Amino acid sequence: MVQLVGSLRKELADSLSSCRVLVVGAGGIGCELLKNLVLTGFKNIEVIDLDTIDVSNLNRQFLFQKKHVGKSKAQVAKESALQFCPTANITAYHDSIMNPDYNVEFFRNFMLVMNALDNRAARNHVNRMCLAADIPLIESGTAGYLGQVTVIKKGLTECYECQPKPSQKTFPGCTIRNTPSEPIHCIVWAKYLFNWLCSRGHCVLYLCGSQLFGEEDADQEVSPDTADPEAAWNPEEAAARATASEKDGDIKRVSTKEWARSTGYDSIKLFNKLFKDDIMYLLTMDKLWKKRKAPLPLDWQQLENHARPQEDSPGSGLKDQQVLGIWGYCKLFQHSVETLRSQLEQKGDGAELVWDKDDPPAMDFVTAAANLRMHIFSMNMKSRFDIKSMAGNIIPAIATTNAVIAGLIVLEGLKILSGELESCRSIFLNKCPNLRKKLLVPCVLDPPSANCYVCASKPEVTVKLNVHKSMVVFLQDKILKERFGMVAPDVQIEDGKGTILISSEEGETEANNSKFLSDFGIRNGSRLQADDFLQDYTLLINVLHTEDLEKDVEFEVVGDAPDKAPPPPSNQEETNSITNGNKDSAQPSTSSKEMKTDGCFMWRQRKKKSVQENPCTRPSVVLFLPKTDLCTGPNI
Amino acid sequence: MIDMIEKEEPIISEEEAAQYDRQIRLWGLDAQKRLRGSRVLLVGLGGLGAEVAKNLILAGVKGLTLLDHEQVTEESCRAQFLVPVTARGQNRAQASLERAQYLNPMVEVRAYPDRPEDKPDDFFLQFDAVCLTGCSRDLMVRVDQLCSQRNIKVFCGDVYGYYGYMFSDLGKEHHYVEEKPKTVKPAQGSSDGPEAKKAKIDPNETTMVKKTASFCSLKEALEVDWTSEKAKASLKRTPVDYFLLHVLLKFRTDKGRDPDPQSFAEDSQLLRQIRDDVLESLAVSGDLLSDDFVSYCFSEMSPVCAVVGGVLGQEVVKALSQRDAPHRNFFFFDGRKGNGVVDYFGPN
Repeated sequence: MVQLVGSLRKELADSLSSCRVLVVGAGGIGCELLKNLVLTGFKNIEVIDLDTIDVSNLNRQFLFQKKHVGKSKAQVAKESALQFCPTANITAYHDSIMNPDYNVEFFRNFMLVMNALDNRAARNHVNRMCLAADIPLIESGTAGYLGQVTVIKKGLTECYECQPKPSQKTFPGCTIRNTPSEPIHCIVWAKYLFNWLCSRGHCVLYLCGSQLFGEEDADQEVSPDTADPEAAWNPEEAAARATASEKDGDIKRVSTKEWARSTGYDSIKLFNKLFKDDIMYLLTMDKLWKKRKAPLPLDWQQLENHARPQEDSPGSGLKDQQVLGIWGYCKLFQHSVETLRSQLEQKGDGAELVWDKDDPPAMDFVTAAANLRMHIFSMNMKSRFDIKSMAGNIIPAIATTNAVIAGLIVLEGLKILSGELESCRSIFLNKCPNLRKKLLVPCVLDPPSANCYVCASKPEVTVKLNVHKSMVVFLQDKILKERFGMVAPDVQIEDGKGTILISSEEGETEANNSKFLSDFGIRNGSRLQADDFLQDYTLLINVLHTEDLEKDVEFEVVGDAPDKAPPPPSNQEETNSITNGNKDSAQPSTSSKEMKTDGCFMWRQRKKKSVQENPCTRPSVVLFLPKTDLCTGPNI
Repeated sequence: MIDMIEKEEPIISEEEAAQYDRQIRLWGLDAQKRLRGSRVLLVGLGGLGAEVAKNLILAGVKGLTLLDHEQVTEESCRAQFLVPVTARGQNRAQASLERAQYLNPMVEVRAYPDRPEDKPDDFFLQFDAVCLTGCSRDLMVRVDQLCSQRNIKVFCGDVYGYYGYMFSDLGKEHHYVEEKPKTVKPAQGSSDGPEAKKAKIDPNETTMVKKTASFCSLKEALEVDWTSEKAKASLKRTPVDYFLLHVLLKFRTDKGRDPDPQSFAEDSQLLRQIRDDVLESLAVSGDLLSDDFVSYCFSEMSPVCAVVGGVLGQEVVKALSQRDAPHRNFFFFDGRKGNGVVDYFGPN
């Protein structure tokens, strides 16, 4: 005789009340999920989130109220959930799941782990921890009206990393610096400009390939790129320019920052340099403008003379959604530079500002600078509201989508706890029903990929790079951490001596950082063993040396489809490509420092079709260089 | 009712702009303003009702009125998250009021303890949309008839164990807009001929397209004639959930309640019997609904309420904001399979 406790069979209800589950993330999905778990009868729940509550969360993260702004999400979520189920046993951690405290043993405490995350790095990490601990993981994500849930179980299903996901869209340096053609190029430029002005940056320059880089923010150069291959009429000229830039160009770049400081961040001088002088310089690279509309330099004085009083339309719209006239943005630029300058002054010597979309002068600055540049390059200017979306990588979010996805997560969880793994599914939430009338589309789970560089029995990859030009720190940060998702890598060379190249222990191999791989005898065919002990993950890397990589490309993983960013999911019914996170979304990232993201969801595979190609994309992975002091960096 | 948008204050306050930012970025300011001018009635504060209440309050409607004559029981505390554990014996709508209001102080939330059957017609006519959960078939038909002719949007929904549905009647002429990308003329690359010299159209620019959809009444939707040749032919593609709904509505009418886990044995038997009767009266095959469903339709499952409440809530938002194509006219969710389908039932 079937016995029910509420809707559930008694055996299931009993196991719910005794098992321990982990919820990673207490945001949009997390709040809904906690509520569902508690109401369904789960009694032992642990929830972790590193974030604090912001007012923009309140339209959907319903466990939080206005009075909670600034407090820990995990903590407040726990307290609110306990309100409607005081007998639940909830533990909250205001912490990052990537903290080594949460090791494999920690994960083994749980019968089930549910992700409610918004970024790929954490997803990769939890994926590996769950594989290492052999605990089932339910993955999920949402963006706007769309959402997705799937189940990951070692040996039975694909892991999160079995299918390659599109990496962050980046733009070639010359597009940003010389030939922007879309608003996003100008917005990226404006953010780099902010970093350029307001944080430690270039000082000593390194030659790498045909480009010169500054320290640390090498990829965030803003002044004209004289080594732009498109600008040259012939190869000799390009070479001449490249050499010339070594002398003039880099001095110019160093001067830009020093110069800005020395003029006391005079906004008008800065304006004329960026929007008049630099543009006039670009115009001298006339080949660029053969087939493109040439940029039109701005002159502060002229604009001031022609300025008409802005018609104040109180209007019915949001103030932020207004598009000002060109003089309006000139004034905004001036005002924000002045505010930022005084912020820097207040902080004192060596002060730095980190760009934050919710910091008004920082946002004003990017709005103004981007619009001025858009105007120069004959693009329609945009409102602060729109620029904030792009600059801040904001993904719109609503309560209902998260509610649906969180409901589906629990339903999958119940199947897992009932021992019915074979009935688990990936479920996609569409905006509109598909041709078979389905709004929610369940799909059978795929088995693990034999070549997965994470969950295969002995994961192995081949990486193509130039051993003479790739530094050890680049291998660590851009390849192992960023590309292969390791958190604290250890690397040995398989040279018969087991030479240690990188140690995860702080300081141990720091001296190796700025050395090149070839300095250690690494060459074509060399093998490196990379481990992340926290993730219990070993990856064998075959080195394929080449002198022949595309411009702005510093390494390639052999076997990957060339980086193509999917078209941004707009208001269409169904999309084949849903991105993996704010930081990795089709909207290109404009900052590698921004940790806060806003909702994301997962890669959708439909019969393993490859990503739709965007013909305009060229990947631009930039060499990362070590932090060195102002005057003591290596000279090349 | 929706036409009264013109009367509302044109300015969105700073507080609203900050709080609703992430949804304004999705559905736009106009939609948010229409929501902000809408009054909604929600009948039934069980598991599904609470989810819909949460979703509409968070969305920022002008007012939400909660109507429920039931009392809080131990079961209700397990079913929904708005009722405090200390509220046993109180009226369910009134007990839910405080927490509902906390969700968003900018929405006017009211609660009434009456039976919807006892409310006069006038009561329903003061709203822009009406959402009925846990209601009898007769009441739903009556309210739908009353409201939809006055251009009041009508929604119904229920959750039975792992199963749930929602129905909408947006009237004979529901007007809405859809955002479509602006068709950009060729020449998008950066190094083309003379075209490139003109100012660029942002490839992401969109335009609003006006559309109209027509809905039938609940009565018509439930009284489809399955004896016609056309109907019989379409049976193969028809979700069986539709017939399950008939069974459960009949149970509710006959017993005055939903299947209760406490009386599992007798209710299961009754369900099977009603299934036989209903299928026969509809002149469809008894094989359509196997016995399987019986043990999975007891009580309101929280995650199923979340799914159905999410879809239903979003449909209400769409209808009030007159933006995006509404689902027409049923949504069925099967929590065991993870299937969610939209289908139309009505006179063909």
